[in-house]
This record gives sequence, C-alpha cells and structure tokens, in this order.
Amino acid sequence: MRDIIRILISPLVWLAAFSAVYGLHGLICGHGIDGEAFGLPLPRLLLVAAYAAAILVQLPILWALYSPRFASPSPFVRFVSRATGWVGLVATVWSLLPVVMTSYCG
Amino acid sequence: MNALQRHRRLTEIWASDPGFRGWFSTVNHTDLGRMFLATAFFFFIVGGILSMLIRAQLATPHSAFAGPEIYNQIFTMHGTIMMFLFAIPTFEGLAIYLLPKILGTRDLAFPRLTAYGFWCYVFGGTMLLVSMLLGIAPDGGWFMYPPLSGPLFSPGINTDFWLIGITFVEISAIAAAVELTVSILKYRAPGMSLDKMPIFAWYALVTALMILTGFPPLILGSVLLELERAFGLPFFQVDLGGDSLLWQHLFWLFGHPEVYIIFLPAAGVISTVLPVMCRTTLLGYGWIVAAAVALAFLSFGLWVHHMFTTGIPHMGLAFFSAASTLVAVPTGVQIFAWIGTMWKGRPELHLPMLHILGFFFTFVIGGLTGVMVAVVPFDWQAHDTAFITAHLHYVLFGGFVFPIFAGIYYWLPHFTGRKRFFRLGELAFGLIFAGFHVTFLAMHWVGLLGQRRRIPTYAPEDGWTTINLISSVGSFVLTIGIAVLLIDVILHVLTAVRGRRNPWNAGTLEWAMMTPAPAYNFASLPHVTSREPVAEDPELCVALARGQGYLGEPRHGWRETLTVDIASGTPDYHVIYPANTRLPILMSAVTGVFFLSLLLKFYWTIPVAMIGVAILAWRWVWGLGLKEDIPPQGIGRGQEVPHAASVARSPGWWGTTFLLTANATFFGSLLFGFAFLWTVAPGWPPPEWLAPSALELGIGLAGIVAAPIAARLARRSQAPLPFLAIAGAGILAIGAVCAALMLRTPDPTGHAYGATLLVLGGYGLFHAALAALMVAFLAARVRRGFVSPLRRAELPIVGLWIDYLATIALLILLAGHLPGLLS
Amino acid sequence: MLGGAALIFALVMTLLVLPFLRRGRAGSDGSRVRIWIVGLGLVFPMVVLAALLAYGLVVGERLLPREADDVVRVGAEGRLSAWTFSYEDAPGRATEGVLHIPARRPVDVSITTADVIHSFWVPRLAGKLDAIPGYVNVLRIEADAPGTYEGVSAEFSGPGYDSFTFAVTAHDADGWEAFLRGETQ
Repeated sequence: MRDIIRILISPLVWLAAFSAVYGLHGLICGHGIDGEAFGLPLPRLLLVAAYAAAILVQLPILWALYSPRFASPSPFVRFVSRATGWVGLVATVWSLLPVVMTSYCG
Repeated sequence: MNALQRHRRLTEIWASDPGFRGWFSTVNHTDLGRMFLATAFFFFIVGGILSMLIRAQLATPHSAFAGPEIYNQIFTMHGTIMMFLFAIPTFEGLAIYLLPKILGTRDLAFPRLTAYGFWCYVFGGTMLLVSMLLGIAPDGGWFMYPPLSGPLFSPGINTDFWLIGITFVEISAIAAAVELTVSILKYRAPGMSLDKMPIFAWYALVTALMILTGFPPLILGSVLLELERAFGLPFFQVDLGGDSLLWQHLFWLFGHPEVYIIFLPAAGVISTVLPVMCRTTLLGYGWIVAAAVALAFLSFGLWVHHMFTTGIPHMGLAFFSAASTLVAVPTGVQIFAWIGTMWKGRPELHLPMLHILGFFFTFVIGGLTGVMVAVVPFDWQAHDTAFITAHLHYVLFGGFVFPIFAGIYYWLPHFTGRKRFFRLGELAFGLIFAGFHVTFLAMHWVGLLGQRRRIPTYAPEDGWTTINLISSVGSFVLTIGIAVLLIDVILHVLTAVRGRRNPWNAGTLEWAMMTPAPAYNFASLPHVTSREPVAEDPELCVALARGQGYLGEPRHGWRETLTVDIASGTPDYHVIYPANTRLPILMSAVTGVFFLSLLLKFYWTIPVAMIGVAILAWRWVWGLGLKEDIPPQGIGRGQEVPHAASVARSPGWWGTTFLLTANATFFGSLLFGFAFLWTVAPGWPPPEWLAPSALELGIGLAGIVAAPIAARLARRSQAPLPFLAIAGAGILAIGAVCAALMLRTPDPTGHAYGATLLVLGGYGLFHAALAALMVAFLAARVRRGFVSPLRRAELPIVGLWIDYLATIALLILLAGHLPGLLS
Repeated sequence: MLGGAALIFALVMTLLVLPFLRRGRAGSDGSRVRIWIVGLGLVFPMVVLAALLAYGLVVGERLLPREADDVVRVGAEGRLSAWTFSYEDAPGRATEGVLHIPARRPVDVSITTADVIHSFWVPRLAGKLDAIPGYVNVLRIEADAPGTYEGVSAEFSGPGYDSFTFAVTAHDADGWEAFLRGETQ
C-alpha cells in the first residue's frame, strides 16, 4: 500500500491544488472580490500566491521521493514514483500557468 | 495423483452447474467474463443498428425516415448504449475473464460479486431496451442536460428510464471496479511483485481506480435529477436556488475520465499484444506504467473543456485548456513507446496487428483533432458541430474498438482452444477500416461547414447533401465489415479445428493452461520470477498441471487460492472461495425491483425491496462464516500461511476500503454540489437557514465520538458484546440527528438549500442504518460462536464502516448547522 | 493548425511503416528509451503543445469583450423556439428572429434564456456562447460589412431543434439610425 501511495501522491496533490485554485478563481469572480495590495490587484495577488503555494507543496514531495529515507525499497517503484512526482510538478506549473497569463474575470 | 486425476478432482470442485441452469448460479470468472463479453457485444449490435438509423436519416435532406421525437430517442440511445452498455462492460468482461489467468491465480477476489454485477448490468440494460421497444426511450441526449431533462420540459417517463437504468447498470461498474482493484493488488501468483505484473494488469488497476472515483459524480447527478423529477427538489432549477450548470459539472466530472476509462484498457491490450506481434518485449515498461497513472490523474482535470461555451471566465477556461493540452503528453509517451517496441522487434502482419495499425492510424488523427478542440477559440466554433462527433468517434473507435478487435483475435484461440479456419478476418478489417474513415472524415468536413450535431434533418440549400450521402454510404460499408467480423468469430467458435496451445508464443501466464480454460485455471499456482514466465519456461504449463506449484493437492472440496503481499508478491493468506449459488441473481433481481418501483412510482414496494436486499445481503455474508478455527495451511513448496478469516486486513477489508473510496467520492461530490450552489448559483442565499440546535449537535457529537471508540475496544476485547452495544447506541444517536436534520430542513421543495440538506441528512441516515445493521450482524455472529481470536476478520470491516459513518456525520452536522450559526 | 497536424500525422505513419521494411537493428533498450520515449514521447509533444497553448491563450484573450467607446449593447433571449432581441439604444424595442446590429462596430450581445439551455451562434461573426437559465453571458461580435448573417441555436433543445435559427442583419450607419428610430422592421 505504501508503494501505491508513493506512486499516487504527487498527482493527487496536483488534482487537489488544481481544483482549489479553480475554486478560488470561481469564488473571486462569483463574489466580485476586488481591491489592491502592494500595488497589484488583489485577485491576481491571491491567485499567484495560491499558484506559488501549489508549486511549493510539490517540491518537498519530489525531494522525498528521491531521498533514501522515504523512497521505496523497490527500484521499479522508485522509478515510477519519481516519474509521477515529476508529473505532479510539471502539471502544477503547466496547468495553473494561466494565473499569470490571462485576465481573471472576463 | 497424476495430471488427469488432478484435473478431474479440481473440475469437480470448481465447475459451474451443468447446462444453461449453470448460467444463473455460476460464480466462475471465466464463465462470467464470457457472459459479460457476449452481452456487451449484443448491445454493440443494438447500438450499431441505431447508428445505421441515424445515418439513414441524415443521408438525404428533408428526410422523413424518422420524426424528430423518434430521432432524438435514436441518437440518445446510440450514445448511451455504446458508452454504458458496450464500452465499459466490454472492459469489465475482458478484465474479469483475463485477469486471474494473466496474474496466475484461480479466480477474482469476490466471485459472487462478479455475478451480482453481471446481473445488475443485464437487468439495467434490459430496462433501457424495453423503453426503446415501447418507444419511450430517453430522448434528451446522452448528456441529459437539465432543464431540458427536468420535470418541466421532459414530463414523460423517458428521462427516468435513463437516470434509473443507468444508475442500476453503474452498480455493476462499481462492483467490478472494487473487485478488480482488490484482485490485482492481492490475488496474484506468488513471486509476482509489482514490477513483474503484466502490463495489462497495471492498466486494469488504473482503470478500476478511475471507475471508483469517476462514476460517483454521475451517480450523484442522476440521483439528484431523479429527486427533482420525482419529488420536486429543485437542484437544477435556477428560480428556486438550483443551477443547471451543477449538472454539467457533475456529468463531465464523470464524462471526461470516462473517455480514458475506455481508452486505458484498450491501451493495455495494445501493450500486451503488440510486443508479441513484434517478437520482442515492451519498450519502457516503467515509463508506460507512469504514463498510465499520469493520464488517469490528468483526465480528472479536464472536465470543464466540455463546457467551454458556457460563459465561464477566460482564466477558468485557460486552466482546462492547459490541462487538456498536457494530457496529450502521456498519450504521446505511450504511442512512441509502442512504435519504439516495433523498431526493437520484428513486426509480423498477423490479424491482431492489422487492427493495431488501424488503431494507430485512427487514434493519432483523433488525438490531433483533440488537441485542436483543446484550443479555446477553435472550440468556440467547432463545439456542438459534426466535427466533434467525428473527433470523438476517431478517439473511441480508434482508441477502443480497433484495439478490442485486436484483442479478440489475439485471445480467440484462448477462448475456444481452436485455430482460425475461414479467413474472413482480413476482409472484415479492410471493410471496417475503409468504411470508418469514409464515414467520419466526411463528418469532420461537414462539421467545419457548420452542420450541428443532433439535428434530425437539414435543407438542400445548406450544401451538405453530397457529403452526408458519402458519410452514410461509408457507414454501411463499416457495418458490413463488422457483420463479416462477427460471422468470422462465430464460425471460429463453431469449426472444430483444434489449435495448439500458445499459438502466438506469448510470454504471459494465461497461455500456461489448457485451452479452453478449465474452471480452476491452474492445477497448481506458479511461482513467478519474471515478467514473462511462459517465455522463460515453455514447459511451465506441464509442470503446473502436474501439481508442481502451490496448492497442487485438491482437499476438502475447497476452492482454494492464495493472496500475496501487495508490493513484494510473497504469499500471505490462504483463501477459500464460496461455491456456486443463485444468491447473486436473486439479489440483483430484488435490487431491480427497487429501481423498477422508483421508475414506475410504486413507492410502497420500495421499502419492501430494500428490506429484501438487506435480508439477502445478511445471508450472503452469513454464509461465509466458520464455526471452527482454520489453522494456518500448508500451500506446498514447504510454506504455510494463515487463513484469511484470521487476519485484520482480509480481502473483505480491502474491498470495503475501495468501496468506501467510491462512496467518499460520492459524498465529496455532494459537498461540492452544496458549495457550488452556495457560491455560484444565482438564487442564493436561501430565504432562511436551518436553525442550529445545540441539543442535536451534542447528541450527534457524542455518537460520533462513542461509536468508533467502542468499535475499536470491541476489536481488542475477548467479550465484544457490551462494546458493540455502545457502538450501536452511538450509531443510533447519529441516525437520530440526521433524521432530525431531514425533518427540520427549511422547505426542501422551495429552495435548493433545503433540498441539499435533506439529501445530506438522508445520506447520513442511510449510513447509520447500514452501520446499525452491521453491528447487529456482528452481535449475532458473536452470540452464535462465529467469532474467535482466529476468526475476527469481520470486526475491522465493520470498524471501517463505523469510522466512515462518524466522518461523514461530522461533516453533515457542520454543513447543516454552521451556516445558521454564522448568519 | 491543420498543416501542423498533417505533418505530425505523416511523421507518425512513416515511423510506423519503417520497421516493417527494415528489420532487426541492434541497440540497447537504454538508447531506445532515450530516443523514443524521452525524445519523441516527452520533449516533442511538450514543445508543440506549449506553443499551441500560448497561441490559444493569446487569441482567446484578444477575443474577450474589451471596453470601447462605440460598443453597441443588445440582448438576446432564447426560448423554445425563437430568439427575442432587445436594444439598449432603443429601449422597449424588441425583434423576434432577427437581430439588427450596426456594421463595423463592436456589439456586445447579452445572452440568456427563458427556458432550457440554448446556444447563440453566428458562425461568420464569432464562436458560440450558451444561454443558461439564470445567467447572462456576453459575447462580442462585429460584422465587417452590412448584410445578413445566418445564426443558429447550437445546443440541443428537443424537437424543433433543427429549425431553431435566426438571422443577424448588419446595417450601415444610416440604416442603423433608421432602425433605432423605428423606421425599419
């Protein structure tokens, strides 16, 4: 079971983060949250912060999958879990990229 | 005992009842796999005939072949049958037939559940067929968008057939998924660690997990819509606080993973068949496993791309556009791994290989048009035109039907033990390939010219006449091809030309048995040391038949097998399967009475059916009990393992875990629905919130704390009855506050808020009743002497349900009482 | 986009046919994995898709309704089986089945529905946008020249769906003024 979790954890966290950011975006647009902080529009700031947090969560997971303490004893599971670890990270960076690229409510 | 005697003894123990009556009582995976596949292909023919009617209607402008009412039923049923009654059951049938053989064991984890799932599928499918024969089939499109499918605009029974029939069929998908997951993780040949698992098993595992998390949103959506239709709970009516977009989210939260649920098993077939056709091994096994897992996850982040035109803000669309392009990467990894495999080996052009080439040609085009529609501005034009119809047929026919045909021709010698005599298959492939591409290339074109999907007819001025005629002609060629293929398969089954075992020189374990497969699969279980055991030891079949593996000596009339440790594949428990029984068909018939009562609004039979199911379920589980301890059993090769009834993590515990995973997804979708309506639906906040009650919260919390703790103490104690009584009291407390929530919720027909609380409370009450029944069952077991320190597997299983109940009850209470407290 | 897709398709088909012609090459699995899986399976699609995604996002962004001085606002309400159009510049004025707009000016259509889900689609003017109960979705369209443009309802809505169409009439500046004054039908 631990090996199965090692394989699934990163993409699972991506899925949670992806849904959370989409939900946050829906909340911001649905409730017309507006304002400014540090010279930037508040919605953009919130979304970018969530984006950064999502990436920051992926990094230690990937690190753990490489560290001898947490990695699987089986070489095969080590390989697959690291591959899916990279999938989680790349998917986070890629699929949430619109946060910095497109207009948020329009 | 020689090989023949062993064969006779084992057949006596494992065989289904003789004759056609055996169909109703069999629990054997080989039989049920064949029955699943035969039924699925029956529905494939029905769906195919419907598609012919569609093409006949569209062949000419102003066609009077079918009126719009009938035409709407035809295309709705075509999509519904192909998705729910053909594609998914075909995967289930193939996996049920193949997995125990390819994993080197004797049956799936829960043989009676296999049978129950099969009969639910048959009865649910029959309901839909009957609706079609009576001319009252669903007609709102296979996606059933409300408000069109709601009570105001579809008052007839048509939509109810869809919602109730499909939910009934879904039971079989969930049952099969639970069973396949546990089987792949636990029921393998000794020595088969995760890295030695055949690639098909990996694909089946990923697919089964996707079914467990992909189908519950649809089941929830169907339940809510049926509640709206039958009892006026306005989940999707905007003027009463509902939102039709909620349906679209729930539907596509299922609908997009569904595409990959269909594609992944087919990819598993390709990954199995292609290397054999190329006389080599699969290139990049680990990469492919990772790609399949990645695909499964990414596919859950795409659902909104079916909703690009619903007016969601651009950034929202952009997330899903990005995820939709990304999903092409793991697909690309698999495609190129397969091509690399071909370069590595020496490809031979056998019939399965032809279909695989057909797959490549078709699926790559479908993938490329898929990337196009992932680009939002393009989709705004192409959405809901024939271009999309063409795209999805390229993906599904290319990505599922061609690989399945390849698989059929590959495993046909295994199904029948014969070799092909008439060579119609090549002709059939040619007709299918040519017919398919003529039909659907034309449809891409006419879609780009602006022909909408689902229109019953068009005018000559539209300028689509010639293209549609070409498309229709192509579709008839395609149909003739499929007919030739079916004739070829039937002739193959009937002609008596014995084939040799393992005609393809494949390396996986399903070829290490006589064909057609005996009821027990392997006379003794192999010890696996590589990914292709038969390639390593071509005489493995003989050695196993001589009883040189595990469990080689039939004893006590037991249907025995082993389970293994998930990661390493070392044997851990000894399992005795239940024998043939009519309980599954009976229970699915009573389940059918429940659904039928809902459909026909005979509400007084609903509680009768529910009690019937409860009684049968009680008998079902009761029959597994042992009055005496089974000591650890010798399994051959000098090893001894404990019996599964004596351990904390029995197969039933694993099955419960995965069933609860699906259940939790259902509940999570319900909470998502609540949150979605609250934040997005226009008609909120509701006129009044539920008045919070400290008394109810207190009683509920006491139950939530007491029940799981008492269940834990019962597990450890020598005298569990008092603790079970406390757990029961806690469960009743939870049930009572859930019932109170249902009674006190503000007018459930007046606003979606009240309706949601009603469903939340009902969900909690149902689970409390379930847990109470289980505790009563356990108490009865303890009193009758079925539980001892060596027979305690049932306590942890009930413990899981109680923990689950406590968790959801806490969330339900918070969701019910907090909004009132805060406002 | 079509050309690129055809090129990729041709590449894959070539790679598929070649192993039938040239057989049995030596080589290690390691190098094969690098070429086929990492190179062609991973890097190649990611580069192509990144470019495509960026293009799509930029174009999508450009299509969004931007604030402008000369925007004309109209309303479109779908109901089984006709569209009713209203005009901000001519309050009280409503037309059925024909939407009047000025040519060469951006028009924001506020789309909604009185019953089931419909979709507003004038293929030559813009992509489609759904009419959803309880929501108002805004679509920016612009006609380059005066004339009549065919429009259809592009979301299945039961019997009668095939004939559920409308038209958009784009007027020149004078014609638009005349329409607003109520002189045109």
